[in-house]
Order: sequence, then structure tokens, then C-alpha cells
Amino acid sequence: MTDEFQNGVAAGRSERRHGDGLVPSMIGALEPPPLPETGPRPAAQKVSPEELALIERIRAGERELFMELVRPYQKIVYSMAVSILKSEQDAEDVAQEALFKAFKNLAQFRGECKFSTWIIQITVNEARHRLRRANRAALGSIDAGIESDEGDYIPIDLADWREIPSEALQRKELRECLHRAIGTLKPIYRDVLVLRDVQHMSVAETAEMLKISEASVKTRLLRARLQVRDALAPGIDGSWNVGSTTYKRVRSF
Amino acid sequence: MEKGGGPQAMLEGKTIVEISCFEVWRRISDFVDDDVEPGLKERLEFHFGRCKHCKALLDGTRNVITLIGDEHAFDIPRGASERITSALLRRIEEDGQDEHRE
Repeated sequence: MTDEFQNGVAAGRSERRHGDGLVPSMIGALEPPPLPETGPRPAAQKVSPEELALIERIRAGERELFMELVRPYQKIVYSMAVSILKSEQDAEDVAQEALFKAFKNLAQFRGECKFSTWIIQITVNEARHRLRRANRAALGSIDAGIESDEGDYIPIDLADWREIPSEALQRKELRECLHRAIGTLKPIYRDVLVLRDVQHMSVAETAEMLKISEASVKTRLLRARLQVRDALAPGIDGSWNVGSTTYKRVRSF
Repeated sequence: MEKGGGPQAMLEGKTIVEISCFEVWRRISDFVDDDVEPGLKERLEFHFGRCKHCKALLDGTRNVITLIGDEHAFDIPRGASERITSALLRRIEEDGQDEHRE
């Protein structure tokens, strides 16, 4: 059994100030109610009692309940996979493989981290494994720590960017450009961005998952956010805004 | 690039030690995450109030976070969820049969 399944991640307090994008089960997991004093696994403090009970039943042989356990996380798993692989088909395969590995290794889940954290870790490992097998160009900097975090990032331009109404994301062009912008990031920056801003993990959780310092998480996150901003910033034309009749391609692709 | 008019400025009777745009860029992500010490936060807010370039960068960074964090940013394509579910159920069932045979 590999460490990826045995290690719980010391999940810190969520630093997000809003619940946007969090699925209900994750919101509940942020501040779980106190566990009973005599639970089946005393170490479990990050998992809700309902989830823990479900896990125990699956371990006891009710295998069909696994889908109920992972259904709230399917989208998280998929989004993690697609953000790493940049391919919907590959992401689908990896999501399926990651979930199956989670099933096979459920006995190794010790409840020392949130179940979502554990399953995301499996997904990240599986997606990276697939990238390595495919020997893609991105392989070079995939291992955290190879590239220095040193060096400041200078924004390309400082043009104003109007506020984006949430409806703007309904536009397929914007979603696709967002995916491409994330895809252009070097993996060490992309991983941090996805964990922090897509999966809404805390700095501490992200650092633990990627085995880097919290300072590195912050440095990489800064660079990632600014690079995506540069890739997407449409300038003062405000073409992302709903109501605009023209779509202006962003400058990086 | 605006420098803020000097190393210090007054705000509501308090002296604000001004910082450069370069320093603002280094901490803009932490500022958005509300992860800066109170003194620096005050200086950053003061800077954003006077520097339109850095304010634009701040707005853009917030927009990026809003976009990426939106629950629709990474929607599962139509049919993919069903395919993942059915494939997973099949593999779990096959795995159970294998264990039973063993």
C-alpha cells in the first residue's frame, strides 16, 4: 500500500471566507459536529459522523453504498482531473480510476483528513501518473520543488477589468478560455491554483498535499493568479460582460 | 506608475508609510485572501485608493478567483457523470465477484 492512501492530511481550518463552489457535504465537513466519544475510529475528527458511518458500512461489506459516499465528490474529482490533464476524455478516465482506487483502499482511510482531501490526493496522483505515462511536454516541471519560487512576476498590463457578473461564466467561450489559461500554467503553479481556488482548500491543506511550505503555496498562488489574470484580461473593453455583442479573444492564445 | 506622492502620507490624521506598486504586486494575492498583517493591510488599502493601476490589478485578481471558484467553471460534461458512475459500479461489482471466487 502506498503512502498516498495511508497518509491522512492534516487539514487546517478553511481560510475561505465564503462557501461559493463548495458542495454541501464539503461545507458540512469544514466544521463537523463533535464525534461520539466511543466511535469506531477515535482518530477520525475531520469526517462527519454520517460519512464515517457510511464508510464503516462499506468496509463491512455494503459495497453498493460507495456511490452514495462519493457522489458529492464526483464533480470535484473530475474538475481536478481536467485541470491537470486538459482533456475531458482523460479526465473522465482518471476520475473513474481514482474513485475505484478510493474504493479499493477505503480501509486505509484513517479519517485524519477530510474525505474530500483524501480523494483529491488520489486524483492528483492518478492524473500525474497518467501524464507521466503519456510523456507529455508538461512532465518536465511536474514535480513540486524543481522550479524555484524565487523571482517576481510582473503583470503584463494593468488595464482596467470591469467586474464580472456571475452570469458571464455561462458563456462557453469564457469557460474554455479559463480552462486554457489554467492549462498554460506550469504544473507547480497550476496545482496550487486548483487546490486553493477551485477546490477551496486552505493554505495549510494545500501545503500538506503538495509537500511544500505554506510560503511556497502563497508565492505560487500569487504567480498563478496573476498569470491567469494576464491571460484573461480583456482590457478595458469589458467583453466578458454579459450583454456585449462581440467576443474579443484574449491575448495569450 | 504611481508612487503615492512620497514615502509618507496622512490619512484621517494618521501617518501612512507608503509602499511601491512593486511591493503591492507581491502581496496582492495575500491581500485578497485577507492574509496580511493589519499595518500592511492599511497601507495596501491606501495605495489601492490612489493607484488606478494597482486597483485594476486587484479587481482583475478578484475576478479571476471568482471565475475559477465558480461552481460552473468545471462542470462535468453531459453524460460523463453517468458514464463514470456506471463504469465504477461495474468495476465494484466485478471486484466483488473476484473476491468471492478467491
